[in-house]
Order: sequence, then C-alpha cells, then structure tokens
Amino acid sequence: MSLSFLIRRLLGAIPLLFGISLVLFTIIHLAPGGPLDVYADNPSVSAEALDQIRARYGLDDPVPIQYVKWLSAMVVGDWGLSIRTGRPVLDEIVLRLGPTLLLGGISMALAFCLALPLGVISAARRGSRLDEAVTLGAFAGISLPVFWSALLLQLIFSIWLGWLPSAGMKSVGDGSLSDRLLHLIMPVTVLSLATIASWSRYIRSGMIDVLGQDYIRTAYAKGRRETAVIALHALRNAMIPAVTVIAIDFVTIISGAVITETVFAWPGIGRLFIESMNGRDYPMLMGLMMMGSVGVVLANIIADLAYAALDPRIRHG
Amino acid sequence: MMTTTRRAMLKAGAAGLALAAMGGTVAVAQNYGGTLNVGLTYEIDTMNTYSTGYLADAQHTIIEGLLAPDENAQYVPVLATEVPTVENGGIVVSEDGQSMTITYTLREGVKWHDGEDFTSEDVAFTWEAVRDPAFIAESKSGTESITSIETPDDYTVIVNYDSIVPDFASTLFTFGIMPEHILAGQDLNTHEYNELPVGTGPFMATEFARGQYVVLDRNPDYWRTAENGDQLPYLDRLVFNIVPDTNTLMTQLRSRELDMVVKTPYNQAAQVESFGGYELIVGPLLSWGHLDFNFENEFLADIAVRQAFAHAIDRNVLIQAQGGFPEAIKSIVVPIFEFYDENTPEYEFDPEEANRILDEAGYTMGEDGIRTKDGERLSFEYVTAAGSADDENIQQIIMAQLAQVGIEIVPDNRAGVALREARYNGDYDLYYGRWITSADPVYSIFYGTEGALNGQGYSNPELDAVFETVENSIDTETRMRAFSDIQRIVAEDLPTLPLTTNVSLITVTERLQNFTPNPTNMTNFVDTAEWYLSEE
Repeated sequence: MSLSFLIRRLLGAIPLLFGISLVLFTIIHLAPGGPLDVYADNPSVSAEALDQIRARYGLDDPVPIQYVKWLSAMVVGDWGLSIRTGRPVLDEIVLRLGPTLLLGGISMALAFCLALPLGVISAARRGSRLDEAVTLGAFAGISLPVFWSALLLQLIFSIWLGWLPSAGMKSVGDGSLSDRLLHLIMPVTVLSLATIASWSRYIRSGMIDVLGQDYIRTAYAKGRRETAVIALHALRNAMIPAVTVIAIDFVTIISGAVITETVFAWPGIGRLFIESMNGRDYPMLMGLMMMGSVGVVLANIIADLAYAALDPRIRHG
Repeated sequence: MMTTTRRAMLKAGAAGLALAAMGGTVAVAQNYGGTLNVGLTYEIDTMNTYSTGYLADAQHTIIEGLLAPDENAQYVPVLATEVPTVENGGIVVSEDGQSMTITYTLREGVKWHDGEDFTSEDVAFTWEAVRDPAFIAESKSGTESITSIETPDDYTVIVNYDSIVPDFASTLFTFGIMPEHILAGQDLNTHEYNELPVGTGPFMATEFARGQYVVLDRNPDYWRTAENGDQLPYLDRLVFNIVPDTNTLMTQLRSRELDMVVKTPYNQAAQVESFGGYELIVGPLLSWGHLDFNFENEFLADIAVRQAFAHAIDRNVLIQAQGGFPEAIKSIVVPIFEFYDENTPEYEFDPEEANRILDEAGYTMGEDGIRTKDGERLSFEYVTAAGSADDENIQQIIMAQLAQVGIEIVPDNRAGVALREARYNGDYDLYYGRWITSADPVYSIFYGTEGALNGQGYSNPELDAVFETVENSIDTETRMRAFSDIQRIVAEDLPTLPLTTNVSLITVTERLQNFTPNPTNMTNFVDTAEWYLSEE
C-alpha cells in the first residue's frame, strides 16, 4: 500500500461528493412541500410573515441558484442556518454529534468485543450445542425489532425494578459519570444487540471458510494448538469479509440510530434528522446527509486499507 | 364551561366523605416547594414565543403578556391592570369608525427576572421588535395594523390602530412582552434570549438542554400573591422533558419519572387509570374536525350531494372510534366560544333522507351500488393524514356510511408536507382535517373567497360580506349577530361539515392542585403560579 494510493482515493472522493451533493439537493427539493409548510397549520401566521421568512432564507430563488449559493458557502465552511431553529447548522450538528457518538461508539465497541469471540467459537465448534445456541441467539437478535426490545427493557428495569432511568441522557442537575452510565445501559444494550447478532454471523462464516483451507491443516500438522491456530493463522484472514460490514456499520453511527434515540429520548443526530425531514429544513438536511456521505466514502477507503493490512496478498498500487 | 370531567367526578367521589366529615369546608394548606416533571412530545426549537413553530408550553411560564385567555377562553389582565373595552374607555373608536386607539394601564412594581423594572418602554419595544422584517418569526399578526405606540409615562401605553381590529388580543402583547433593556439594538434571530429568555413570569429559565429538557426555577420576586397573601408561585421547579415517543411517555408516567403529560394519546388514555396516582383530565380544546368539499368537483358543487353527506354521516360512530372523547358539533364555531349559536341549523343522521335527496336530484343507483349521473359515478377521492390512526379510522367509517347511500369514497392519504400541499392546492375531492385556533379565530382564512387556507375553491359573496363585518367591528352585539349569520350560512351552504370538537387529555399526578386546563393556543401553562403539590 502506498501513500499515492491514499492520495488518489481521497482526490477521487471530491468529484464523487460533488455528485452526491447535487443528487441530494435535487431529491430533497423534489419531495413535495417546503420548509414553511409547518406554519400552515397555524392559522395565525400571516402571509407577510411567511414572505419575510422565505426571503430571509433565500427560498424564493430558483433551485439551481439555491444550490450554487449553498455549495459556494459550504466549500468555505459555512453550512448555513437551520430554518427550523434559526441557529447555525454546524452548531446544531456538533451539539447532537456528541451524544450520538457516545451511544454509537460504546455500542459498537461492545458489539465488536462480543461478536468476535462468539463468531469464532461457533465456527470452531460448528454444529455443537454452543454453535446452535449462538446461532439461535443471533437470529433472535436480528429479528427482534428495536422498539420492542426497548419497551421490554423499560418495563423490566424502569417500571418493575426501578433500577434504571427509562429515557434521557442525564438527570436534571446531575450529569455525573455514574448518572450518565445508568442512562446509557439500556440504549447501549438495545443498539448493540442487533449488531452483535449480525457481526457474529459474518465472522462465523468467514472463519468456517478459512478453517477449511490447506494452510490451516499445515498449521495443525506442525503441532500447533487450536487456540494458536485460530488466533495466529485463521483470524486475520477470516476477518476480511467482516471488515467491510463493520466499517460501514461504524460509519452509520454518525447518522444516528433513529429508533433507539427516539424511544430513549436520546438527543442525537437521528432525531435531528427526523425533525429536519418532517420540517423540510433544507440546510440542516443537506448538512446531515453530506456528513453521512463523507463518512461512508471515508469508511470505504479505510476498509480498503484494512484489507491490505490484514492480507498482504491484497495490494493497492 | 365544559371542563367535563373525570377530575370533577374523582373529586366528588374522594372528597365527598371528607367534605361531609368537615362540615362542607375544605381548608387545605398550600404547600411550597417541589418539582413538577412535564413530558413534551415535540422538540423545542426556540424559547422565543414569537418565533417558535410550536405552541409555547414551557415559554408561557416564563414570559407574560398584557392579557391572557383564561380557562373559558376569555381574556383576563396579566401585566395590564384591566382588559381594555369600549365600555371602560380602554378602546376608543375614531369618529369616522375607521380606526381605533387602545390604552393599557400597566401593573406597577413588576420586575424582570434580572431585577429591572417592567415599563411601557418594553411594550413599545415588543411591537417594534416583532414587526421588524429582519426578525424571523411567524407570529407577527397584529403588528401590521398598528401605526404608532405612545408611552406618555412608565405605566401607560397608547396603541394607535389604522383599522378596527376586534382580535387585537389574539397574538401581539398576549404572546409575551420582551425586555427592552436586554434586546434593544440586538439581533433577535441569534440572541441568547432565544435559549434562556428573561421574562416577568412565575418561573425563570435556568437551563435549556436541546433535545433533552428545559429547567425553570421559581421566581422569588414574582409580582403576584395568592388571595390568602401567599407569595406566588408555590412550586420550586418545573422541568419540561422532551420525550418524542408516546410509548416512552407512558412508560415514564408509570415509572413516576413524569408527573404530567398534556397530550395523552387517545388510544393510550385508557391505560392511565391502571397506573395509579394519576388522573386523566378531559379538557376542552379550540379545535374542530371537518370534512371539506372541493367545489372544483362538479358533483360536490351540487348542494344536494353535500346535503346527502350531511345526512349520511353518524357522528356518534366517529366519536366511539376516537375512544369516546370528542363531542359532536354542528357549527364551525365550537361551543366553548361565546359566539357559538346553538340555533345553527342541524342535519339529523338520516340515511333515508340522504337517499331521497340524491334520488330527487337525479343520481340514480347503479348496479354496483354506486349512484351515477350522466354516466359518471358518484366517486370521490378523500385525502387525510396518512399514519394518523384516528384520522384513518374516521375515514373508514365515513366510507362505510356513505356507501349506504350510494357514494363511493377512494382514500388517497398523504403525510406531512405532501398532505399540506394537497390541502393548499385543493388536490382532493374531500379533505378531512382539524383546525386548532386561538381564542378569537378569524374564520375568513378558512372559508373566505380570498382565505389563505381556503384550498377548496369555495366562494360565497354573502359569507364574505359577513366576515367583513365581523373583522371590522368592535361592537359585541353586531359581532354576535354576524357570528350567528356565519354559522347559519355555513350550515346551509355546507362548504364543510363540522363533525367533532376534540378534547385534550391531560394526565397529571393526583398531587397537583389548582390546575385547570386551558383550551387556547396559550397552552395549559399560561397560568402556573398557583399550582402546588400536596403531600404524598
């Protein structure tokens, strides 16, 4: 792998992102309605007030001009003002990104730490009771709707036992570490459950492929113990298919977990997106979607780099 | 008053014995202190009452206006000493009858939360700030008809209007007065006031954690005292928690993390009784559900068809489908308003009569059970909010009821902005929706020929003329007569079928005392000073 590869990939991403921004801008403007329609339900909003708001946000320009204006501001780092709150888009996103990264990051880290051994063990003991139990658990985890498992946890731990706060990120006037951890337990559990289930399946199938390879037999023939064979010879190769999935899943963190954030009243990006979508808050939507797009593009580059690191036979040149 | 109510019933039941024992007098000491946790289902966008896109529940505990609507939607004085009327000389109509002047006398000794005195300068400033085109806000109505404001002294405000404005109290000055000493010369779009506003109200904004909660603490220097001399307010703290998911809202009530939810979903209200410790209060709401006809459709432009609709729909079934909470209405003016006319003509539920009218008008029953005229079937596209369980249930019922008289309904439901766009542009044959209004709504925006919210292509010069009278007259009797005319004309000409008036279901801890629901868009939190929590 070379530095020039990295530079080429990064440069290649720039026209890609321009293309994405054009498509996104077109799509959100093609969707019926507009940002001022939220006020339409309020009979006391006068037409003059709406005209003033429209002019202030440049909504009376033709869409191509709005795009050029948005793009030229974005390039120099001005993300615009949210129509819904009147505050800078970047401020709003940064405010919501912290809670989202906290929740998503912890969930993903936990999911990885659990999915890896589960996947490896069930591959190594393929067909055993343990494998069957893990498989059953994984399918249950994939199939359980998040809102249902969330409700169930709230019922048990908040209503019946009264141990955990049912929602929110911190208590009013508290916010100590222990208070925040208590608020994290249920959303992290719910969010990591489905991820553990799906990742462990990818790792398991990658491992099964690799364990049937000739070089694994050779390693056993050398007299290596099973744990050493798996950890030193098989694992790196078995991870390659899982890496793509994990890299992309990691990126989706920054787009927020809409359902989990809604059910647990978590002040994250996912809820901001839904609010902005409902209100057709164009600048905010563009900011959020561009951030997500940049994340996905970067994640792909990182996944490619990770392949090369895991498997020396894969070379980017 | 129609605060119905389970609260009244509960009180009667529970207090009955106690009353008997104490010989009819209830002497309860009001307690100071305590925190009330309220659940809100929307994300607060800004704490400024003039620019928020939502009803300003939390904001109204901080910011006060000159007047405010009470639990009967009648205006009462807050920062003004009395409600100006023609009788008390507060409103003076010019000799030519074309303009008016309103004089407010302000309450003395009121202080802003930062200790500054509240004066007439603040009132004048509020008008100037809200009408400034640079200030992005939707609640600007009422500013455009004011030509100037005079402040001869600190406690007198003279407002000059260029026309007769009977609904002068509905927005400006009622939504709240802004502090001149903080905001003069500042950019109101970005000022910190939008996060932590400074008001004169019973509670002060302490913390606004976006997407999480707003914390409001007791204002120790509040200007009001209770009748018994107690310094108000009683509560130490109000916390508005933002909980977007209604299931979670119910969970938080059960787990005692919330004390109050002002918008209990109709379909979950039945659970509340099983939680224990909460009461469900059924409050009136200035809201009505209506089925609108699009006059671009030639069949619907025929009064016979509209009358058939009116006779074919059984409102009782609609009410049952909404948990039994709403009430049937026959007028677009809901019964809680003083202008409601109970003599408004009514169409009995009578499918026979509907069939007779349609037969007479030449709509013949086809083989498929749907009537036709000139080879065209009596079939209509019906638009309502997709995903709203109540609205979609209503649609199913209306479909079934109209099928009985040979009218076919085809649902064409949309969500969010797509729905509003359809409503604006009249992209429907039938539209079902609800309006929620202020205490003194302007009905011409719905049914006037030029009405901003008239998407149905309805135009009736007679009705327009009555709207003109209502909106330019300050004389109660003239207005009363005109309102009766409006209700009669709408009921006879049927541009819309008013079906039910909705209620608000408020779940509140049994410990909260002195709470009465407020039906207006000033929310239930417009008067929180006397609320207190009884002992557990």
